[in-house]
Amino acid sequence: MNVLQKRAWVELVLMLVCVAIAAAGLAFLVRTNAQGLLYVGTSVVVAAITGLVGYLHNVRSAAGFDEREKSILRKAATLGGYAFALAVGCASFVAFFVVGGGGSVSVYVLPATFLGALLAAQFVQSAAILIQFVREQADE
Amino acid sequence: MSSPGLSNRVRRLRFDHGEMTQQQLADKARVTRQTIIAIEAGKYAPSLPLAFRIARAFNTTVEDVFRYDDGVEDAPGRSD
Repeated sequence: MNVLQKRAWVELVLMLVCVAIAAAGLAFLVRTNAQGLLYVGTSVVVAAITGLVGYLHNVRSAAGFDEREKSILRKAATLGGYAFALAVGCASFVAFFVVGGGGSVSVYVLPATFLGALLAAQFVQSAAILIQFVREQADE
Repeated sequence: MSSPGLSNRVRRLRFDHGEMTQQQLADKARVTRQTIIAIEAGKYAPSLPLAFRIARAFNTTVEDVFRYDDGVEDAPGRSD
């Protein structure tokens, strides 16, 4: 297992842990009906996960991969971009069909949509890296 | 990542050069051993600079290492 594969695994696991922690935290805040805390908690979770994704991206970009690994990473990043666009598009349509054309949504929907799309993109990117390596090794 | 019609003699050349290991070739070409494995298996078509580095590792030309056959004959009247 090379460096790129290891990092893809770490990112994948971290993403799942972050989602689990965020979901548990928000569920707790909603259950305790702590409105003020809900806003603060949501902001902290969004900031933390966004910062984590940015950090992981920088660490990975700085590593000295060879051209084949960069090619794998490029393909995975493209798929991640598609996943981001798809997630934002789907969320927009869901919001449209749920509240209707003349309705309005909470201001929290936008960061939640952005965060969800970011996580989906990161998940797809990490999974795409691992799948490409698995397919390559299966052919050997 | 693979390119139809592209074949190579990397494995043959490694053995002709004192049974050079994949790792030794990878070090000379400044890539990972996995990339050499992928190239030998025809799963990855290297860039032009990498093809030159591999050829230089064997003290030969790119065309001696890699061969491209797309089923089209050279255009008539071509001088080279």
